[in-house]
Amino acid sequence: MTTTLYHGEPNGPSLTVLAAAFEKQVDLALERIDLVAGERHGARVPHAMEVEQSIEGEGPVLVVDGTPMADSVFIACYLDDIGTGAALRPADPYARWQMMAWCRYAIERLAPAAAYLGLHAAPPAAVPEGIASIDLAERWRDAVAGRFDEGKLADSRTKVAQAADKIEAQLADGRDWLMGDFTIADLETYAWLAGMPALVADAFKGKPLTHGWLARVRARPSVARALSLAATATPETVWAPGPEINRWG
Amino acid sequence: MADTGRVTLYHWEPNANSGKPMLTLFEKGVAFDSHYLDLLAFDQHKPDYLAVNPLGTIPAMTHGDRVLTESTAIMEYVDEAFPGPRLMPANPVDAWRVRWWMKFMDQWLGPSFSMIGWSVFVGPSVRQRDPAELEAAIERIPLPERRIAWRKAISGSFSDEEMAESRRRVALGIGLLEEALGRREWLGSDSYSLADINGFNLGYALPLSQPHLSNDALTPNIMRWLRAIYARPATKACWALGRTDMAKRVTILESEPA
Repeated sequence: MTTTLYHGEPNGPSLTVLAAAFEKQVDLALERIDLVAGERHGARVPHAMEVEQSIEGEGPVLVVDGTPMADSVFIACYLDDIGTGAALRPADPYARWQMMAWCRYAIERLAPAAAYLGLHAAPPAAVPEGIASIDLAERWRDAVAGRFDEGKLADSRTKVAQAADKIEAQLADGRDWLMGDFTIADLETYAWLAGMPALVADAFKGKPLTHGWLARVRARPSVARALSLAATATPETVWAPGPEINRWG
Repeated sequence: MADTGRVTLYHWEPNANSGKPMLTLFEKGVAFDSHYLDLLAFDQHKPDYLAVNPLGTIPAMTHGDRVLTESTAIMEYVDEAFPGPRLMPANPVDAWRVRWWMKFMDQWLGPSFSMIGWSVFVGPSVRQRDPAELEAAIERIPLPERRIAWRKAISGSFSDEEMAESRRRVALGIGLLEEALGRREWLGSDSYSLADINGFNLGYALPLSQPHLSNDALTPNIMRWLRAIYARPATKACWALGRTDMAKRVTILESEPA
């Protein structure tokens, strides 16, 4: 069985998947790609409908025996199934529901907001060739042209602040990790949030528990190892177009 | 640890998000108390229900003293917490594909279907009511984004661009479903799974609502798949809980393949 992970800078979904693979001690070949240059759409990375139409936007691709897979939370679930390290999901069905519902919140509400703000702060230089998804291509064109909607920027800052509120409340009982034990929810939430204190400082004011949690996740050996693969000094400032902001508002 | 008490499902029609945990419970053979909420009468924003789910979203499920929301996460819980046929494939790549499809339908394809559905069905049927009463009902909605969505649906204020984009997505999504179902018997793997339950709730009325895009000639695999799911006893039992003409659209699947 050959497993190859094509990943970008350790930020957002690439960080989730790299750290999950290290947590689970999964043996895989790592291939760095430049997501900001649109390399996922070129010839180096195997193509599949599930990658091209992934609504996560620009994220890592895990290729297992010729099957290219996208969407960081579900790739992390896969790695949790096959790896040998400690479980990244609770075994109890209700605790697992809590984790999956949390991750759904993170990918549906937090991720689009973080990607929009991150992209606004550091837009890509050019729209790559060969983007199959029409709506992803439009997000690229908007970002490169600097077309950012004030309403969406404000809404994104609100969503990041709501995420910080939610984390602070979740940690109020003194727990170290969001679900009690360390899980995919910690990875996915951290991966989208790591660059936000620099962009939405107010959202994190007066939230000591959230700051402590951010530092704990960052110090986790799997996360530290993923961050050590960074090509830049500040991977949390590197963004490519992510999930779209909910069209229903 | 699994069985901690009675199961109650708070749901609307067997359709979209409500139908996903309903059909999962029927497939697993889990007995549950059905608590029907009339979405168009805003039952989901009334105090009785807000005491169960303060967000006022449908569906919600209680299992003993546990309260669960988020329909796709509820489906995974039902599959794991109760005995009965497994609805998540054992192969980890197949499980990934099941989850991929559920996200794609929940967050990309489904909202486009529902924008069209709300503009032709929900909006017009709610618009008959007294405007002041409607405004008061909207003000009681806990989630701000749901207030915006209801206002848009009721006023019919989706822009031409929004509707055109929704139609583009529906057409593309139908093509992707047809392609996937041409490769495998079921959507996510070679066995019936949560992805099929999710997809049926999204697409059971396709040959009626999108006859120019989905029919026996153009999408034979989608039609085979919908008819196979409709033939299951669990599906029949589930759709029998429908009270409106919307759920009755499922009978289009009684038609013979052309």
